[in-house]
Amino acid sequence: MTQVKTRYGQPDVQDSLKRRLPLVSGLMGLAALYLLAQLVTFQYQPTAVTNYYNRLATFNYVSQARVTAGRGVIYDREGQPLANNTFDYEIGMSPNLITDITRVAPVLADALSLRELEIKTVYDAAVANNLPWVSLAKPVSPTVAERIRELKNSDQNLLGITVDSQARRLYPQGTLGAQVLGFVAGDAVRDLSLRGYNGIEGYYENELAGGVRDETFSRIPFELPEDRNLDDRGSDLVLTIDRDVQFLIESELQRAVTETGATGGTIIVMDPRTGDILGMTSYPSFDPNTVYAVNDPNLLRNPAISDAYEPGSVMKLVTMAAGLEKGVILPTDTYVDNGVIEVGGVMIPNSDRAARGVVDMTQIIVQSLNVGATNISLKLGPSNFYEMIDLFGFGRSTGVDLEGEAIGTVLTPYDADWSESNLATNSFGQGISVTPLQMVTAVSAIANDGLMMQPHIVQQVIDGNEVYPSVPSALGRPISAETANIVTEMMVQAVEQNLTEAQLPGYRVAGKSGTAEIPTPLGYERDASIASFIGFLPADAPQVIIFVKLDRPNGYWGSLVAAPVFRRIAERLVILMELPSDNIRQALAAEGGNLNNAWSR
Amino acid sequence: MTQWIQQAVRRAPFRDRREIFWLTVLAMFMAIVIGALYLSNVAETSTIGRQLEVLIEEQERLEQENEELRIEIAELRSVPRLLARAEALGFRQAVSSEVEYLIVAGYSPQRERTVAPIRDEDAEPIPVYDETLIGWLRQQVDTLGRQFAQFNAQ
Repeated sequence: MTQVKTRYGQPDVQDSLKRRLPLVSGLMGLAALYLLAQLVTFQYQPTAVTNYYNRLATFNYVSQARVTAGRGVIYDREGQPLANNTFDYEIGMSPNLITDITRVAPVLADALSLRELEIKTVYDAAVANNLPWVSLAKPVSPTVAERIRELKNSDQNLLGITVDSQARRLYPQGTLGAQVLGFVAGDAVRDLSLRGYNGIEGYYENELAGGVRDETFSRIPFELPEDRNLDDRGSDLVLTIDRDVQFLIESELQRAVTETGATGGTIIVMDPRTGDILGMTSYPSFDPNTVYAVNDPNLLRNPAISDAYEPGSVMKLVTMAAGLEKGVILPTDTYVDNGVIEVGGVMIPNSDRAARGVVDMTQIIVQSLNVGATNISLKLGPSNFYEMIDLFGFGRSTGVDLEGEAIGTVLTPYDADWSESNLATNSFGQGISVTPLQMVTAVSAIANDGLMMQPHIVQQVIDGNEVYPSVPSALGRPISAETANIVTEMMVQAVEQNLTEAQLPGYRVAGKSGTAEIPTPLGYERDASIASFIGFLPADAPQVIIFVKLDRPNGYWGSLVAAPVFRRIAERLVILMELPSDNIRQALAAEGGNLNNAWSR
Repeated sequence: MTQWIQQAVRRAPFRDRREIFWLTVLAMFMAIVIGALYLSNVAETSTIGRQLEVLIEEQERLEQENEELRIEIAELRSVPRLLARAEALGFRQAVSSEVEYLIVAGYSPQRERTVAPIRDEDAEPIPVYDETLIGWLRQQVDTLGRQFAQFNAQ
């Protein structure tokens, strides 16, 4: 190859460049094409690889966290909190940001009541495994968390220490209203998916739960933090439950169980005019703050709405109301009570098996006569009887705003295993199962001039600045006001003539006891009963209905063991609810006073 | 030296280069000014961002503290505690016959719950956005000046 030279004998650089440039350009072009091809293929990596590189790329300048807005607070009707939110704190460490563990460990050990060696061991393990963060202690109290925060602010060595909070549900009243409230469970540390179960927490999960968002936080200092959206907080609920009433009935139920040796029980207090449930409790119960410690899942249920039982003689009120409403009997009608009656080949006796002779309709309620109730049901016939059973809401949901409601069991002539004897036994509360709330709802129609209100437990839903009140609504009118007044008077007579344990001096009380045998697959248990009492007052203008049920009490009879509990509750309720005695109330009304108390809505 | 510069300037071929030189100087000056303003702006934004972060942390801390206090109040006002406290103070539960009812003329128990409006007379007025380009430049220069002053003071 000849070298081109200039006229001065020097190599010609221009010529050399001209010859080399295409070669260099070609090589660079090839390299660029190779890189471009690599870039293209890089876009089509498997998802896992792509995610890995994405994480690597964003790790240094963004962090991601799952943020939950606060769960709504639950209040009683007077604004006392029944369920709040609190925080558990977790202290952690980012080993990469720790410059000298020998300075950090003593400070942390003192604040967290740990040993220095423990902290150093955790640190060493995190460094060895190249972990970006490691937990040191959880849960720690707000006081300790605050102390760590203060230490962080004053000591640069603690820059790598983190204080994280995690929401937790707390019930400040302890066990009060546990079955009504339900509980919240879930793994807050793992995925923050706290969820409400049973009761209010379960039924109103969508309203109470705050929003959950995955948020990205920038580490770039001159990027302003984004405005946190606070609208995601769950709605607050104001219940119809009154904390004082709830405490009263829980105390009385506990006392009744202790005194009678009952294995369980239920008490419900309701305003028959609105369907407001003022108190609802069952025994045994649980502490929603330590729900994880509950071994028996049955304890977490609310027997007042989810356990059906055979109601016994309280059902005679429904039978009597049905007979009067359908016009098959009059209050003044009489019949000859022989102490026993045969229906469909089954002998049905009175509870004491004694004959009463000629008795009127009122005495069927006063003396709780099975034969009389059976007579009424036979006069009604299956069609009318079960139509009224349906109108009173048995065999279907009351629609109460609580999770886990049962509907009970009502056999009708359409069922294969129904027989004529069922008509007779159903009339006095055997062979039919209802929930305590169904029974309270049905009898509340008698107390409320025949209008049966839907029971409910939430009075208001508060969503930010918006308040959504619940409007009392009627389930129906199974009986007329006239029929309701007649049955009410019969109930008053029952208390005045027979159920003396339920009498409350100064007040006319309407009530009825029930004593039901407990069914088993082989028949009925001997010497065991479900004793109950239902009553309302003042009888002429009912403002509260009280239902008491005790399972397997030693006293056996509802009139002996449940009626006294009713009376003790009523004694306190008339003070809590500001219900003056009948003569004072009538005197006040005569002077122009307003009979409705402040509990009315 | 002065003579050399005068000679250099007088040489006709350098006139274009002199213009280029001054244009370059001007461009560099503008770049420095804009850069300084940018840096000042970024510094200020970072400072505000940090202040916001601190305020957000403070807000969250105070919210959590409020929640803890609400719980403490609720626990202190629970019925068993109130009953025990009342008994310790010598109170007992009233019975029905001890309660007296009075008629208050014009009073209706069916009262609406009312909430008093929040007083806002102490609240500062919301600032009106009235920034202009000149105003913004002046603000940047002032900020820069303050930062220099702080730097000199250190």
